[in-house]
Order: sequence, then structure tokens, then C-alpha cells
Amino acid sequence: MISDYTILVDGLVRVYGEKAAVDGVSFGVRKGEIFGFLGPNGAGKTTTIKVLTTLIPPTRGKAIVLGHDVTEEPLKIRRRIGVVQQQPSLEMFMTVEQNLDSSGFLWDIPKEERSKKIQFLSELFGLKDCLKTKGPELSIGQRRRVQIARELMHDMDILFLDEPTLGLDPQVRRTLLDYVKKRASEGLTVFFTTHIMEEAEYLCDRVAIIDHGKILADDTVDRLRSRFGTGEIIEFTLAEKGAELRRILTPIEGINAFYEPQEEDEFFRISTDDPSTVLPRLLQALFANGQHVTTINIKESTLEEAFLRLTSKKEEEA
Amino acid sequence: MNSMLKLLVRDIRGSLLMSPLFLASMLVSPLIYIFVLGFALGGAIPSVVSGGISMSYVLFLAPGIIVSQFLTGGVLAGASIWFDKRFGMFEQILVGPFTKTQYIASKILSVALQGLAMAFLVLLFTSPLLSGLSVNALGILYIAAAWMLGSLLFGSFSIVVSTAVKTDEVLNVVFNIIMPPLLFLSSTFYPLENVPAFIRALALANPLTYAADMFRFGILGLQTSYLGYEVLLLVVESVGMFLLAAWSFKRIKI
Repeated sequence: MISDYTILVDGLVRVYGEKAAVDGVSFGVRKGEIFGFLGPNGAGKTTTIKVLTTLIPPTRGKAIVLGHDVTEEPLKIRRRIGVVQQQPSLEMFMTVEQNLDSSGFLWDIPKEERSKKIQFLSELFGLKDCLKTKGPELSIGQRRRVQIARELMHDMDILFLDEPTLGLDPQVRRTLLDYVKKRASEGLTVFFTTHIMEEAEYLCDRVAIIDHGKILADDTVDRLRSRFGTGEIIEFTLAEKGAELRRILTPIEGINAFYEPQEEDEFFRISTDDPSTVLPRLLQALFANGQHVTTINIKESTLEEAFLRLTSKKEEEA
Repeated sequence: MNSMLKLLVRDIRGSLLMSPLFLASMLVSPLIYIFVLGFALGGAIPSVVSGGISMSYVLFLAPGIIVSQFLTGGVLAGASIWFDKRFGMFEQILVGPFTKTQYIASKILSVALQGLAMAFLVLLFTSPLLSGLSVNALGILYIAAAWMLGSLLFGSFSIVVSTAVKTDEVLNVVFNIIMPPLLFLSSTFYPLENVPAFIRALALANPLTYAADMFRFGILGLQTSYLGYEVLLLVVESVGMFLLAAWSFKRIKI
């Protein structure tokens, strides 16, 4: 039933200049669902969120949020959503408390309720000690926490979170994810973008993987893992980079796929169904080609592997 | 509360919290102009004759400086839009329950109120100089028109600037290059009757002159021979600048 969906996107295209940042994307998100939108940087995640939150119009295609078309009734949508944008935002001249209060005021929350929410959210996100601190004196992590707490001052039907955990320490990150889970269990729909796979696995009911503006897969986390992340992963680091590993590894039997290190990550990864025979062959081949392995692990297949497989396949095609 | 008014309250709250010291410093220049320049030059210029009325220099100067506060209000509004863009609040507000029109209208109203507050404070300090003046209903109308049109014009102008520039430096440079000529090539500091022709020509093309002349007519009864044209030009220019601001605001890249 169409009415089950809080977000329905059909053939969405958004072009900047000559380049399509989002290129014919279609998906639906149901009420109370936590929908993960995964993709490398520049994949089209933020552009999609900007269209769905009515900041920019689509070039082509349709996007219906909470039953309203994003181009025809944007204000009706904005009245019922919350958005934590990827870029930082802060009322720089205000204290943390004033930031939260100002947001509540803008959303028409009565004074008394604002005070209660400020108490609750500042406790939840560890902002109690800096309630009287002004913007410039806050750390990057604190500013991010204020940004998130500020958006939770008002009630909403959909919460858009665009890489919200950037700059958060692990405890606060977990607090946020748990809080989002709890709210979703109460009926809140969550649209969550990230490139951190553990977060998506922990949080999301369903994920879509997007790259170069196109959706490569859209399924539950478990099904994606089993569809694209078969077997196990051998990950290793080398003392020296720059070797032509693909050439060295191609002759080895039993390797399903090979992935170069991703950003800020030194691990080469191999997916295989038979690590016990592939591992000795791999070490032998590396040794024969003068490569010195510094670390090596065998891991069970994860969403990350599905992600890597899908996005790197796309890159090879491109 | 109306959405636009909520944005207005937010804006004024932001300006007041910016820095009390900064706000106080905004009052220093106008008061120095009036009390130092006004009285010092007043010694050298025993009386100013303009619009057929003879008066002390400081009495001529004070209304001009009060009107220039509407320009200051405009700059403050431009700065507040710039800060909204820079600190991410601009996009955050636009994904909230507000329209771009409400946002821009709140900024213009904020300019008007901040300009009025600044002008009122300067007026308060200079009230001993202006005591004994009586303002009739027509005068109040002219004063109000100078305030509203001046605020609309300068507020819209600073919106155009703040939406166009990309860095702090450029914003500062633009305001620093534009403010002094706007202020000094106008009838704020001197009557235009006896100045060299090129200064007169430039000053007559400056909307601050129109606002200052309207305000002076309202408060002193001093009427230039071209006051009607000035009113008309100020209306046309402020509406035109507002339309330009709305257009540039619509095109702003998100």
C-alpha cells in the first residue's frame, strides 16, 4: 500500500551543471523504518537528502514525503521533519542552552516544555556542563552534539540524519544510535546516511547502497550480507604500498574478489569461500613477489564487504 | 506566533547576544560625529543656511547622523545573513517550518527595528540639542517614511551583498569600500547648496541624501527644492533594491 510509505522516490534525477549527482534513483521508506543510505563520499547521499528535505528541487523524477510532493508542498513536509545536516550548524553567538531554547522557540514549543527538553537532551548528549558555554568555546564534538540535540527539541514524523556521527566520540555515537532506535520503535521514520558500515549494521532495518548517483542495491542488512558478502574476508596490510597486487593475486584460485584500501584505511581485502587454502597461497604469492605482510586477519563477511564489492564493481565498470 | 515574527525574534536575539561591547561600539562613531565634529566645526561655521533656514551646524548635522543609523542597521542585517550562511544556520532554517520569503522579510524588519533602535539611542543623546523643535503630523510622516524606505533600501542592499560574497574578506572589503562614500557623499554632513558641482551631482545620486533630506524636513522643516523627487526616487530605489534582493536570494546556491 502506497500509504504505508512515508518517503516514495521515483526516478529522481538531480543535475549540477553537466553532472548528475543523483541519477534515476527510486526507493520507498515505510513508517517506523530506519532506512540506511550508504555510499562513498560524493555518491549522491547528501543531494538526495537535500531534495527530500525540500532544500533543492529535483531536476527530474518524483519525490513524495509524508504524502506531499517536494516541489508542490514543501512547507507541509518541512513542518513534520527533523534534519541533522552533514555540515555543522550552530547559533554561534548563543550559549548551548540558548541554542536549544531558540530552536524550541522557532518550532513553537511552549516555554515549560522547552526547559524540560533541554534538561533531557543535555543530559542524554553530555551537554550539561557546557549549557552556559557560547559557540566559539565549544569543541567540534560538542558543537555536533548541540546540532543533534537542537533538532530533537521538536517532534517530527521523519528524522533525516546526514552522517550525524561525524566528529562524535564512541560513547555519544552509541547513545545517539540507541536513542534513534528507541524513537523508531515508537513510530518515527529515520533516514540515515553514513559510510560507516558498523553503524548501518547496528541501526538500520534496511539499506540502499548508492554510488555515482545510482542505487546499486536496496535490501535488508541480512539479505545484502548474504547476497553480496558471501564467504569470508582476509584483510592484510603491507609494509610497502604501490605493488601491483591485482596482477600478483589474479592467478590464485579461490579468490572471489579483491579490494584496494578505502580512504584512511590501509587494509587490502580479499573475499573467499575457502580461507584455509587461499591464505597459504596468498602469503606465498606475496612473498614470491617481495611483499612483506605486516598484519593479517580473517573475518566473517559483513555489510562492509557487500558495500565494497558493489561500489568497487561500479568503479571498475566506470 | 507568526513564523516570520519568530524569525525576527531569533534575529534580534542573535544581534543582542553578538557582543554587548560591539553593539556599544556602534554608537561611538555617530556620537563622535555629532559632539566632536558638530561642535568643533560649529566653531568655524557660525551658521548653516539650507532650504532658506539658518541654523547651527550641529543642528544641521544631528538629523543626518541619526538617519545614517538606518544604513548601519542595514549593514548589521547583512552581517547576520552572512553569519547564518557561515555557521550553517541558513540551510537549517530553510529545512524548518519557514519559507525563504519569511526569512528575507524577517531580515528586512530586523534592519528596520535595529536601525530605529540605533537612531533612537543617538536621538536620545542628542535630544538636548534638538529641544524646542516641534514636529507636526506631516513631519512625523516624513520621518517615518525616511526610516521605512531607508531601512528597506539599505537592508535589501546588504542582503544582495551578503548573498553574493563567498568569504569574510570580500564582505569586509565591500562594506569598507561602499560605506565611506555613501556616508560622505551625501547631505549627511553638509548642505548641498554651496558644494562643488561634482560632489553635488554624486550626493544627489545617493539615496542616503534623500532619506536625510526627508528626515530633516520632518524634524526641522528644512525643505530642499527637489524634496518631492527625492521621495519618489527613494520609493523607486528601495522597491527596486528589494526586488533585486529577493531575486539574488532566490538564486542563492545551497
